[in-house]
Amino acid sequence: MSKWQQRVRTLMVNYLALPSDVILELPRITIIGQIHVYIENHLGLATYSDTELKLKMKQGFVQIKGSSFVIKMMLPEEILLEGNITDVTFLPDNTD
Amino acid sequence: MKPIQGSFITGYVSILIRGDQPELFFQVCSNHGVTVWDIKKHGPDVCEGKIKLGDVKLVKKVRRGTGFKVSFVQKKGYPFLLKRFTRKRPLIIGLLLSFLLIIFLSNIIWDVKITGVPKDIEEKISKQLNQYGVHPGAWIFSLQSPNAIQQQLVKDVPELLWVGVDQKGTTFYLEGVEKIIVKKVPAGEPRNLVAKKNGVIKDLYVSKGIPRVKVNDYVEKGDLLVSGVIGEETGENRTTELVAADGEITANTWYEVAVTIPLRYRDEQVTGNNESKFFLKIGNFQLPIWGFRPPDYTDIHRETMETPVRIFKWESPLAVVENVLSEKTYNERERTKEEAIKIGIEQAKADLQLELGPDAKIMTEKVLHETMDHGKVKLNLYITVEENIGQTQLLNQGD
Repeated sequence: MSKWQQRVRTLMVNYLALPSDVILELPRITIIGQIHVYIENHLGLATYSDTELKLKMKQGFVQIKGSSFVIKMMLPEEILLEGNITDVTFLPDNTD
Repeated sequence: MKPIQGSFITGYVSILIRGDQPELFFQVCSNHGVTVWDIKKHGPDVCEGKIKLGDVKLVKKVRRGTGFKVSFVQKKGYPFLLKRFTRKRPLIIGLLLSFLLIIFLSNIIWDVKITGVPKDIEEKISKQLNQYGVHPGAWIFSLQSPNAIQQQLVKDVPELLWVGVDQKGTTFYLEGVEKIIVKKVPAGEPRNLVAKKNGVIKDLYVSKGIPRVKVNDYVEKGDLLVSGVIGEETGENRTTELVAADGEITANTWYEVAVTIPLRYRDEQVTGNNESKFFLKIGNFQLPIWGFRPPDYTDIHRETMETPVRIFKWESPLAVVENVLSEKTYNERERTKEEAIKIGIEQAKADLQLELGPDAKIMTEKVLHETMDHGKVKLNLYITVEENIGQTQLLNQGD
């Protein structure tokens, strides 16, 4: 993706009030308290265990940490995670 | 959660994935459009998830070429239940047989009930019905329609005026009406008609015998009214014939009746408040089941209803007794002298009518004497009545 394209998209979000998750291809994360995390528009599962869920996104990863994780539902671009959530971290591309 | 709704009906399986990073297999699955839920990681290389029964084939196809090992752990849902059920042969056979049995039994006559006719005709009817094939144990669909049976029965049993045949489920109800064959009254023994009471003859209707009185004659009790001896009785040659005298002799009779009517009287009235109490009756013992508290009111009108507990046709010694306790009030009422007289006359007339029977006609009434004392009205009434005063008297007894 070129730098130019990126800038156009950011402009569209800012000036045309278009939803940022669709235009910028970023995940939309809905968190309900500390029990549910609903992630849409991700690019696939990287790692999953009892205490950690890592999902690919366009640049880097989103990492969710906690305990007793269960994936309640898994659809092509959506994930519903249940458990005790402690952290939501965005990791840049170069780590991992 | 919508994609996994109704998965119990379509069936779902738990699959266990073994291999390096097993969760990635689920990712591949969901990329192929397979819905996966309840994913749990049991260990670093073991992962469990649930998929729909319809997706199993697709998952197997996806697995090919990857290094994962897939094992099916749990099968749940309606299709598996059905499969497990159909595998139990004796159960299905038993179910089928019981179903057939129910159909079989419900197509058999279980009972034929005949009502409304005496025993001997009942016997005749049931004999006829046996000939038509209507008896307990017969197939219902091999029978004629109730209408046809009805017509045939009336034809074949001459004593029946009408019969209603009704089929209710497995029971035939027959309601018969018997023809009443009127017998001719035999001519009675020779007899006279004599007066039952004193009176003035008003009307004579003699169907047999010779009248010995005329209209407007005064007769006393025991006087001969109609003679049963027909023929001349002159001197030597007696050409007489004895018959049963019959006829209707209407006469004016009179009665003196004394009635007493109090001016003050009480009556009871139910107020509408009531309470029900239920008892279970076993022999003479009554066990209260419902309603233990005695009602607040003092004057109580009690009504008792008893319904025996039935088990099919057998009447058990148990009975449920319902006691309805209704509150009532006593009213003290007063009436005027005129009202009391009116009521007294009505009462006297009603009593007299009851005594004389419905054929007597009360013509006039007259107050002969009235007195008032101790809050009571005493009336002496004179009532004239038109009634039949004829009374039979056997000839060989009288003379």
